Amino acid sequence: MSQDKCTIQVNGVEVEARPGQMLIEVTDAEGAYVPRFCYHPKLSVAANCRMCLVEVENAPKPMPACATPVAPGMKVHTKSRKAIDAQRAVMEFLLINHPLDCPICDQGGECELQDLAMGFGRGVGRFSEAKRVVRDTSIGPLVSTDMTRCIHCTRCVRFTQEVGGLQELGTMGRGDRVVISTYIEQGVNHELSGNIIDLCPVGALNSKPFRFSARAWEMEQRPLIAGHDCLGSHIFAHLMGGKVKRVVPAACEEINETWASDRDRFSYEGLDAPDRLAEPLLRENGHWRAASWDEALDAAAAGLRRAGGDLAALLSPSATVEEGYLLQRLLAQMGSASIDHRLRRRDFRSQDTEIEVPWLGMPVADVERLDQVLVVGANLRKEVPLLAHRLRKAAVRGAGVAFLNPARYPMHFPVADALQGTPADFWLHLATLVRAAAQGGETPPGMAELLGKAPAPEERHRQAVARLREGGRSAILLGNIALRHPRFADIDVLAAALARLTGSTLGYITEGANAAGLALAGALPHREAGGRARARAGANAAEIIARPPAGLILFGIEPGLDCPGGAGWQRAPAGGRFVVAFSAFRGESLPALADVILPIGTFFETDGTFVNGAGQWQSFSAAARLPGEARPGWKVLRVLAERLGVPQPGQATAAAIAAEVRKLAGEVMPDALARQRPASAIAAAGEVSLQELDLPMYQVDALLRRAHALQLTADGLAGSMPEGERLTA
Amino acid sequence: MISAIKTLSLWDLLLGLRVTLRNLFVKKVTIQYPEERTPQSPRFRGLHALRRYPNGEERCIACKLCQTVCPAAAITIESDVAEDGTRRTTRYDIDLFKCIYCGFCEEACPVDAVVLTRLYEYHMEQPGQNIMTKDKLLGIGDKYEGMIAADRSADAPYR
Repeated sequence: MSQDKCTIQVNGVEVEARPGQMLIEVTDAEGAYVPRFCYHPKLSVAANCRMCLVEVENAPKPMPACATPVAPGMKVHTKSRKAIDAQRAVMEFLLINHPLDCPICDQGGECELQDLAMGFGRGVGRFSEAKRVVRDTSIGPLVSTDMTRCIHCTRCVRFTQEVGGLQELGTMGRGDRVVISTYIEQGVNHELSGNIIDLCPVGALNSKPFRFSARAWEMEQRPLIAGHDCLGSHIFAHLMGGKVKRVVPAACEEINETWASDRDRFSYEGLDAPDRLAEPLLRENGHWRAASWDEALDAAAAGLRRAGGDLAALLSPSATVEEGYLLQRLLAQMGSASIDHRLRRRDFRSQDTEIEVPWLGMPVADVERLDQVLVVGANLRKEVPLLAHRLRKAAVRGAGVAFLNPARYPMHFPVADALQGTPADFWLHLATLVRAAAQGGETPPGMAELLGKAPAPEERHRQAVARLREGGRSAILLGNIALRHPRFADIDVLAAALARLTGSTLGYITEGANAAGLALAGALPHREAGGRARARAGANAAEIIARPPAGLILFGIEPGLDCPGGAGWQRAPAGGRFVVAFSAFRGESLPALADVILPIGTFFETDGTFVNGAGQWQSFSAAARLPGEARPGWKVLRVLAERLGVPQPGQATAAAIAAEVRKLAGEVMPDALARQRPASAIAAAGEVSLQELDLPMYQVDALLRRAHALQLTADGLAGSMPEGERLTA
Repeated sequence: MISAIKTLSLWDLLLGLRVTLRNLFVKKVTIQYPEERTPQSPRFRGLHALRRYPNGEERCIACKLCQTVCPAAAITIESDVAEDGTRRTTRYDIDLFKCIYCGFCEEACPVDAVVLTRLYEYHMEQPGQNIMTKDKLLGIGDKYEGMIAADRSADAPYR
């Protein structure tokens, strides 16, 4: 397409435009609104609603603005008699079959058809025949359907095809008998399927968990950062009476574009879980009783003081920067450095030499500009659905995206190559790739032992290396499976070597919402806030889990489900271990283990900051109201520190704490290749099953585990195990 | 001189008493409530009611238009999916202390569910009785459906 500018007239005003650009883009930029239903800037042009008809001089008929390319000298009228007449006529046809059930429609009040019918509809319908009725089929637990309301704009069809990559919806029939449906009797199972709710301009597709619970105009909209994956998607929480009624995406082109994953969109349902904690709980003579904050904090402080320096803390990788910072400072002042958020990690051999802050190595939007990508150990669609979407955009553009995984995960784009191995040994392919990359050149020093184990390179390995080396901008991304692998240190060394040999960027797809932020806040046994190494390293997550100390703080986690091996924890006999749990939910494993449970808020109810996988610091304010006596985690930590008598500097707001951490951390995100990683000689224990490495996508945190509708989806019911494994599991 | 005569003869008083005298002989307008009642328009806006369809199904569909239009914020509605999959209220409260009896709720209702009846004789004895719950409103609707329906049909030609 030519980049030359030409001039056209819109409503008599001279406007600059690119020839070939669609008219609607020009009129939008000019501020001349043209009504539309099927046009969406993120989707292909369909031009089937005909609502955007405008008058173009010398054209015999009104032209659809969304599908008419700009030509030099064009004269366009969007508000002329002819254009308005055409738009009104189209509206009349659209309303022929649309039911007049706006009062019971959840879209009522935020409906594009309703709005435009106000401007372009006739007061009274002339159509006296019977209206069309379409029988509804359930397409899953997330999206409700009222297909009688459908106006066939096909935005949802184009979304599942073009953005989702799996055509789960399609049109059947012709003329006025067109229906949108799943081709075969099955639901819409895509992890981004919730977006068709936002795309639908009418009330045909709506949120099922939200169904009938509030009206659009009653709710208050608060911006938030989603707290379930390392992308930090921008979302809006819609609240009524302090309660989250639904979540919709907020436009942020550099992170989540206009989309939200189902996980971010529907996790709010867990907020009202029956085991949500509304008051502190205290164990007394083996029984739990509700306590006041004073009692609970005194008990917690007394217990932790008894433990003295033999203290450790495990916190969720989705805790905020503020919470991580205050917790590590509390521990440091009590004389312990045993704090960790890397709960599922198994291999800590290389922690001192690896990158200070695991991150993507590039802005999120740059992922789609990559030309060659090798993803190692990631069930990407389930780990970070919107990052998978970025990679899909790259792949559709022509980039080669290869995977190296312990299982074959179905992707929604053409995969250049899918290397596969057993869960324990799939990483050996990486060693083979390094061998292939080093062939003819020098082998990276100290890696002879690792490379010696690898099978000789085959043709596909050589091709994979050649793609990374010659294909323009390339990257190697290590996913959650790699991070959780018992040989992660080796995988990291090999990936870094391969990245160096092929000139690729090395990035990490981390667990939780805030792994980068917690690393910067010093919630690590070997690094303090800002990423500097500690003088004396404390115990890491695996060591804490294997040998719990006398005093243990659990922050935002359920040990039975979030810590591998934590399920086997038993409560020590009286006078032994003392466990303080900060949790939003009671759960099953906490009451069995803890001595005090302090109710805190989730990211919906807490001021906080997340640092996403691209190193962006994103602060947010509490949106929803906390239940009962529950308090934001960072406030509880401050008060607990005061009760313990450890000095508290003056910051009294989350923003001030975040600013302090940010000052310590600086602005720069480290380059993963800047560090020399010596290959480790100690071999870790080998065997590991796929289930231990790959966590079902709706099981990653306590809030999600309680999100009812998500648990009913195919992913929720089956986990995210690939087909073959599911049968044997 | 003339003003002195008028003052001495209490002329202004006589003028006033003339009105009194005239009214002694016209028909009396005082109503002996409660033995007597004033006539009511079918549009009279008194106590609220929620109506049902003849088959017993409640009319209200929880569209919340009445709650939205209410200038006194007297109506509180919570809605959910009913057992049969329809949109229904789980709570429908009208605070009679807040209500200004403007009748906007009735105007807004797309299904003629909430209506203002001709009832105006009611009282409260306990705090909280000013809240008309859904059960109470439906009860009034059930009890006075005949009157409500007759009033609507009497007014229908003018709507």
